[in-house]
Amino acid sequence: MDAVPAIRVVDLRKSFGALEVLRGVSFDVHRGSVVSMIGASGSGKSTLLRCINRLERPSAGEVFIDGEPMGGPVTASGERKERPLKDINRMRRDLGMVFQQFNLWPHMTVIGNVIEAPLRVRRMSRKDAIQLAEECLARVHLSEKGKEYPARLSGGQMQRVAIARALAMQPKAMLFDEPTSSLDPELTDEVLTVMRELAADGTTMIVVTHEMAFARDASDRVLFLHNGQIEEEGPPDQVFGQPRSERCRQFLSKKLQ
Amino acid sequence: MSNWERLVWNQRGLLLQGLAVTVEICAIAFAMAIVGGLVLCLVRLHVRPLRPAAIALIEFFRATPIFVQLMWVNYVWPELFGWPNSFFTSGWVALGLQSSGYLAETFRAGIEAVPKGHREAGYSVGMSPFQVYRRIVLPETLLTVAPSIVNQFTVIVKSSTLVSVITVPDLMLQAMKLVNIWYEPIEVLTATAAIYIGVVFLVSTAGKALADFQRRRFGLNAT
Amino acid sequence: MSEALIDALNPALFWEYRLVLLRGLAFNAYVFFAAATVALVVGLAAALLRVNRAWPFRMLGTLHVEVFRNAPDYIMVIWVHFVLPLLLGKLIGQRIEFSPFVSAVIALGFVYSGYFAETFRAGIQSIPQGHLDAGRACGMGETAILWRIVLPQVVRRMLPEAVNQFVSLFKATTIVSLIAVPDLMYQVSMVTQQEMRPLPLYTGAAVTYFVVIYVVAGSVRGLSERWRNKIYA
Ligand SMILES: Nc1ncnc2c1ncn2[C@@H]1O[C@H](COP(=O)(O)OP(=O)(O)OP(=O)(O)O)[C@@H](O)[C@H]1O
Ligand SMILES: [Mg+2]
Repeated sequence: MDAVPAIRVVDLRKSFGALEVLRGVSFDVHRGSVVSMIGASGSGKSTLLRCINRLERPSAGEVFIDGEPMGGPVTASGERKERPLKDINRMRRDLGMVFQQFNLWPHMTVIGNVIEAPLRVRRMSRKDAIQLAEECLARVHLSEKGKEYPARLSGGQMQRVAIARALAMQPKAMLFDEPTSSLDPELTDEVLTVMRELAADGTTMIVVTHEMAFARDASDRVLFLHNGQIEEEGPPDQVFGQPRSERCRQFLSKKLQ
Repeated sequence: MSNWERLVWNQRGLLLQGLAVTVEICAIAFAMAIVGGLVLCLVRLHVRPLRPAAIALIEFFRATPIFVQLMWVNYVWPELFGWPNSFFTSGWVALGLQSSGYLAETFRAGIEAVPKGHREAGYSVGMSPFQVYRRIVLPETLLTVAPSIVNQFTVIVKSSTLVSVITVPDLMLQAMKLVNIWYEPIEVLTATAAIYIGVVFLVSTAGKALADFQRRRFGLNAT
Repeated sequence: MSEALIDALNPALFWEYRLVLLRGLAFNAYVFFAAATVALVVGLAAALLRVNRAWPFRMLGTLHVEVFRNAPDYIMVIWVHFVLPLLLGKLIGQRIEFSPFVSAVIALGFVYSGYFAETFRAGIQSIPQGHLDAGRACGMGETAILWRIVLPQVVRRMLPEAVNQFVSLFKATTIVSLIAVPDLMYQVSMVTQQEMRPLPLYTGAAVTYFVVIYVVAGSVRGLSERWRNKIYA
């Protein structure tokens, strides 16, 4: 195992007003590993992911990407200086994010969605960006849809385009927030297949999911989040086989029945 | 004595007289617009042979600028039809025509939005087509189009400033008269603009509140 | 048919003055394009104020919208032409005057910026938050997100309403004749004074405006529908 994990989360806390959503979460994600995050609705899974790439600003705690603190280095006097947005944007490029609602930009074609960040953020040439986009679309098995607008795709196809869009930034890790939850059951498989292939290719991933089968056989570690804290954590065999926490057992028995 | 006092406050009688004329002409034009709009809309929807004529009128009223219509009614109609015989009448006729075109389309959209099932429910309890229209379709339409009607009234008030051009003594004309007496336009015109903006603001706010109140009475969401 | 009706519908006189009148119509177009530009720029600025996080900005934006949306075009044209130069003159201690064209553009531009601001705002607020998050997650800056993700969608969403507002603005350009911008209505009244025959002239003007607005607005609506349908299937 590497000395420096790809993502390290240390004592992350987040409150919305009086509502404490995350109450001190810590874990590491090593390069090439897949971490699944499970937990009841409202337990703070999305908030945690959004804090990792700073779509939400954590109230306390820190996230390190390849050893570099997202929130900014601590000065000699022990204060933390907030990074300027520009820096955060640079670091966000290392984290691809896939949303439950796809969030494809409807006014751009499929290929337009995928090349947007390489073109405007990484300042690639158009030719290189298109070549990269085609590779990414091939990985999600959508090579032939480049010229379509998102409105003409099925939900499963849209989510795969969203994955390609995230891949096109060539990120160090991918964050998935319930990527199959707004899909019809018959469309989830095509998305899960793509995700399994990514995992097999050695992509570093954090996956928030309600698909217990995926969490069990595609991930290296499983985290069970409850009330803003990690209640249970371990390899899938252990978490699914003999969970120590009573709550985790109840959650799983409900999910697996 | 400040300019405001001399030019505006001391002339308030005149300005108020003008405002009264504005209110009067807008009220008449509004009444005409509602009746005209309803008639045009019903003819368009239900009187087959006259349908093309209704559509032509609606489109003509809607696509012609109000100022052009005003001039047209004022200069051309009297020779063409021997009417209107006063500037005041020309004023409200022109204002009313344009708005009746818009309201006709508003009413049509509202009527077409009434779900077919509501009508059928009326027929199924033995109501006549006329009863269904009067008791179900029109009230429902009124509820959905109320905000647009209020909006159209504010359009009338705003357009009514133009009747001063054909010498109807409305607020705008009185203000221009005062300006032409002393050549000191700042206070008079600013006050007049403020009055118009205030009146239109009040009308639209009150109208929206009223429309929302009605909608809420029937458990509908505010607009 | 009555004689008056024949006279009114006889286009001969209108045709005789076609060049003058066409030049007038061109002025309507100039005023329209200049005022539309002002209205779009100022309207966008006001809309951005209205969706700003800080309440003083929001207040300012709301004030802008309420003042200009509720103001009659005509009084604003008159005010800008006769009052604004005096006020600005006092401010810089120098006599200034606006040409009728400039007054018309400023006045109509600002009045319609009030309407456009509301349309822009509704458009901006209809963009799902997730689209912005997706941009941020890709490392895009806020300006890039505004220009590449928000505004292109806003434009498409507001198009039908914006077309209506452009039509209103074009119609409003007819009142600039009242401060002596030589537009079509101005030319018509000039020719009328010369020929003393208002019937065919004013009828011709009404028909001309009707045809221009009906045809142009109709085709623009059709085009914009087709363009929008591509993404809102
Ligand atoms: N921007 C916000 N403002 C206020 N409260 C928020 C905000 N975002 C999330 N919350 C609250 O934080 C809590 C956790 O939300 P979160 O979306 O992280 O849950 P989740 O575990 O992802 O649930 P789900 O499985 O339904 O997606 C919820 O109670 C939610 O209402
Ligand atoms: Mg969630």
